[in-house]
Amino acid sequence: MTAEPLRTSDGTALRVETQPSLPGLGGLYARGAAASGRIAAGRALPALPVIGAGRSASDTEHDGGPLTLPDVAYRVAGVTTTGLARHLHEYQRLLHEPVADVLPAGYLHVLAFPLATAVMVRGDFPLPLLGMVHLRNAVELRGPVRMGDVLEVRAWAENLRPHRRGVQVDLVAEIRRDGAGPEERAVWRGVSTYLAKGFSLPDAPAVDDESRPEWHLPLPTGRWALGPGTGRAYGAVSGDRNPIHLSALSAKAFGFPRAIAHGMYTAARALADVGHQRGDAYRWTVEFGKPVLLPGTVDLAVTQEEDGFAYVGWNGRRRQKHFSGTVTPL
Amino acid sequence: MATRQKTSAPAAGGTAAQPQGVRDAVIVGGNRIPFSRAGKRYADASNQEMFTAALEGLVARFGLQGERLGEVVGGAVLKHSRDFNLIRESVLGSSLSPATPAFDLQQACATGLEATINIANKIRLGQIESGVAGGSDTVSDAPIAVSEGLRRALLEAQHAKTWQARAKALAAIRPGDLKPLVPATDEPRTGLSMGEHQAVTTARWGIAREAQDEVALASHQHLAAAWESGFFDDLVTPFRGVTRDDNLRADTSLEKLASLKPVFGRSLETTPTMTAGNSTPLTDGASTVLLGSREWAESHDLPVLARFVDAETAAVDFVHGHEGLLMAPVHAVPRLLARTGLTLDDIDFFEIHEAFASTVLTTLAAWEDPDYCRDELGLDGAFGTVDRAKINVNGSSLAAGHPFAATGGRIVATAAKLVAQRAAETGRPARALISVCAAGGLGATAVVESV
Amino acid sequence: MTDRYTQAVNSGFTKTLAKKLGLPRPAILRRYRAGDPLAVGPVLVVSDGASQKDADVLAQALLAWDVDVRRQPTDDVRWGAVLLVVTEAETPTDLAEPVLAVGSVLRRLAPNGRVVTVSRAPAEGDSPALSATRNGVDGFLRSLAKELRAGATGNGVVLTDGAAVGAGSTLATVRFFLSAKSAYVDGQLLRVGPAEPTGADLTTDRPLAGKVAVVTGAARGIGASIAQTLARDGATVVCVDVPAAGEGLSRTANDVGGTALQLDVTADDAGTRILAHARERHGALDIVVHNAGILRDKLLANMKPAQWEAVVAVNLAAQLRINETLLAAGLDGLHIVSLASTSGIAGNKGQSNYAFSKAGVIGHTRATASLLAAQGGTANAVAPGFIETDMTSSIPFAIREVARRLPTLAQGGRPVDVAEAIAFLASPAAAGVNGQVLRVCGQHMVGQ
Repeated sequence: MTAEPLRTSDGTALRVETQPSLPGLGGLYARGAAASGRIAAGRALPALPVIGAGRSASDTEHDGGPLTLPDVAYRVAGVTTTGLARHLHEYQRLLHEPVADVLPAGYLHVLAFPLATAVMVRGDFPLPLLGMVHLRNAVELRGPVRMGDVLEVRAWAENLRPHRRGVQVDLVAEIRRDGAGPEERAVWRGVSTYLAKGFSLPDAPAVDDESRPEWHLPLPTGRWALGPGTGRAYGAVSGDRNPIHLSALSAKAFGFPRAIAHGMYTAARALADVGHQRGDAYRWTVEFGKPVLLPGTVDLAVTQEEDGFAYVGWNGRRRQKHFSGTVTPL
Repeated sequence: MATRQKTSAPAAGGTAAQPQGVRDAVIVGGNRIPFSRAGKRYADASNQEMFTAALEGLVARFGLQGERLGEVVGGAVLKHSRDFNLIRESVLGSSLSPATPAFDLQQACATGLEATINIANKIRLGQIESGVAGGSDTVSDAPIAVSEGLRRALLEAQHAKTWQARAKALAAIRPGDLKPLVPATDEPRTGLSMGEHQAVTTARWGIAREAQDEVALASHQHLAAAWESGFFDDLVTPFRGVTRDDNLRADTSLEKLASLKPVFGRSLETTPTMTAGNSTPLTDGASTVLLGSREWAESHDLPVLARFVDAETAAVDFVHGHEGLLMAPVHAVPRLLARTGLTLDDIDFFEIHEAFASTVLTTLAAWEDPDYCRDELGLDGAFGTVDRAKINVNGSSLAAGHPFAATGGRIVATAAKLVAQRAAETGRPARALISVCAAGGLGATAVVESV
Repeated sequence: MTDRYTQAVNSGFTKTLAKKLGLPRPAILRRYRAGDPLAVGPVLVVSDGASQKDADVLAQALLAWDVDVRRQPTDDVRWGAVLLVVTEAETPTDLAEPVLAVGSVLRRLAPNGRVVTVSRAPAEGDSPALSATRNGVDGFLRSLAKELRAGATGNGVVLTDGAAVGAGSTLATVRFFLSAKSAYVDGQLLRVGPAEPTGADLTTDRPLAGKVAVVTGAARGIGASIAQTLARDGATVVCVDVPAAGEGLSRTANDVGGTALQLDVTADDAGTRILAHARERHGALDIVVHNAGILRDKLLANMKPAQWEAVVAVNLAAQLRINETLLAAGLDGLHIVSLASTSGIAGNKGQSNYAFSKAGVIGHTRATASLLAAQGGTANAVAPGFIETDMTSSIPFAIREVARRLPTLAQGGRPVDVAEAIAFLASPAAAGVNGQVLRVCGQHMVGQ
């Protein structure tokens, strides 16, 4: 089943391939998502480079040819949210969101994430899922999505481009209210940018090393004491059971001294920290820095800017930035 | 000195203004048990035992056995669910008439002062003739909660109709859920402890370590002198063999204080300044204050120390750091003084709760900062300078300790006795300003005046 | 509170055993309970011929108190008490007949019975024979008391300065000795002068109604018991103790419905503050009981200055200073009762400081008595012997046992026994008792 072709932000036309349901979202979400995570991991693992180890220069070309993204967008329509109350409330409690029947932007990311994952685990996706580093994320929520709304989710990959340490790619997901016309904008749109280290693009312009300006620790407005189970808890709610988040042992296999917190967990908690002043519609961005080792303490500063809020999370003892971002009411 | 006066009511010679149509509420006296550092002598004393002891001492001091008081109000910040009626249960265990009504109230560290405000207001309105305000707190006997996961599973199992459902609910318990949760003084919304919050405020106002240590030293020296002079002989009743506040270090010195390692603000970029010496320790204790109408006090041949003039509470937006967590009293006091027609110059005693030495210092610094007073307090300029010699003259929480809900009662009784003594010495009315900061960005302030 | 030995020899198998072994068998003493009869049986009133009239006066008074009064010794009665009236006896030979009459009923004296003598004190100018007769009663009574058994006691009322037998204070003292309130008072002669109480009801259960009393050292032990007893008798009690004893003090104050005043009696302004508290809070001050006291036992050879000075400061100097303030205030009808001690009378090794202070108390009591008399007040002292308290329970067992068995009553007293004596001395009816020291010691062998 196909639908109208879809154009990416640089104008590339994509086939729209309609899936019967969100991967892992039939029935009990959590269980399904877990399975999806496992499948994804299973397919991607054999080809995985160990994070941080990189690839040798001779490995940098995929199948000997230039890297290209799948020319397909996945679409799932008729996604019902009525049965999600328990799962939603679990998410809200975990992320310190108020428990309510409005779906926070982070929760919508969790809903759409498996479809984006499905794009990434396609055989023709040029980069390995588990080796990729989540660099940044940008979300726009253009209005409240409530429990009971029936949704349509789309996901695709675009904008493959060089990075000083490899190549980066945007995974775009959009959520529309079901029955919205093709011209109607998505109510939620998320762009997740991933880095695949050690890959390169032919004819790519050299990327300058970003010289980082010296960073001064702000005065914290909050502090998170993250327990060792933080990654498992978010993994259970989000379905993202990447082993680097689950335990020290599994994380060590990928070169981390301990388990690390999900980037989206930290971003979503910062979003929750902004509170109700963000309103029903907002733009929410995050840029990830040093991973948050678990258990660990994150100092946080949320500051009110002219048009919204800026936030930054860091490790006060090591003086390392973990993430920073903005929440801008629309 | 004090520069601002919004209303024209002259105060220095006369008495502070108060709303029309209400009568005076007077402070008869107070009683507390000595405060004791957490985990020491009161380690197995419950809030109810401590509050009952404080109440019994008050009853004994003023001969209130069998008396039906208008109301007893108080609370505890760290409270067991079994203590839902903590104050009423304490009344029932006391020598007061069992027909004395009571209720629990809680406003974090301002609980004791808020309870006093409540009793005073009821008296001023004529709803009651007499009442006791107070509070109790124990860190040693604090409630320990089960984890959220265990709690939910247990509740679900309890609600389950069938054994299968019950078993299923219980099966959801994870080993990690069995770890108990001990109460923390972290702000729920920020996750920062009160000390860390104050470390941020301290850094923002650039309060020096030495200045904080000086405040701590003065607190210990003043409290020790007050004990020596017998000031607390009719304000404190020993409990469990403790006869004096056991956090008091009469022999401390700037050198000793300077040798302590900072405990808060260590992950800030600025040099940390807050130590265990210039921060209040966790403490157990309870306090009470007896208030009444003038007529009630007179008809019971009871002394009157002071008039409870007026009170003001405030709250600040601290969540994203716009204002410091403990800065609410800074906002409340100018409003309170404006309403009562007083200026800082009209105050003889400043009782500023020493949550931390730097709380006192940031409060003073804020009032002296014209930009801050304009932008944040809506004043025309700096609120004014407080004569340091008038602050916490008989010591405060740094030396006495700070059993959260019990601090208000300690301060109100102390302030009332101070103004009574001063007025007796000089023949002129004396006033004390009370300022208590509290968790949640709250603050309660009050003025008492000699009669 | 009754010690285990006393319990054992008064019940069951151990009672029989003790009897057979001839062990001392201390009795379980009868103590005052409101509503109980004054005496445990009929009261025999005997006198010499010359004292017949006084005997009649006393018999009339007893009848008015609903006592079964008899004038003839018979052997069909279990006597509750014997009242020996020898007020008008003039020669030693006058005593033979009434004394032997008393002797004839002693075997039939009920447990907790009483022998009370009423006599007159020798005075300046008495003839040698009269003086001998009157002083003889002293030795007679003390010896008689020692032969009484089963909790019975012997005490004497000694009238001075022409006090009448029918006077209120005489009757009140007779009544006190007859009653269970004097359970641990034994072998004592109390002098009663002519000062007449005004409006005192001798039979009331609340003789101190409307009175305001101050008790120092009230946090525990004897002090707490004094507060309770004074309150039971109707007084409003201001309970005083050092701030450090405040926890017990508030318990006492709440028990007795009084007020707690945390105060160190050695403070310069202690008297002023006590007076101010009593007047401002209770409108008057009628009774002051100087009970606060401390021990710092040490042989004089090893005594440190602080040990001497502290004991004298608390036990003696504080009382003097407070009394000065009270005297200067010119209170009407003030009754001061001070705690002395048998150590202050007979001496005790290792207690030179304590005995000095307690003998000093006896001294200042006598001197203060005449100062207070002018305004209808009295000053008296009570000298407790071995009293069962927290303090004495810490004495090693063997020494404690010896101390317990030494008195005629062969047991320690209770705090309430001291308190009863104080309540009596503080009562308006005891107006004629002034400058006296009443021992509450179960007739301890030491001293007078």
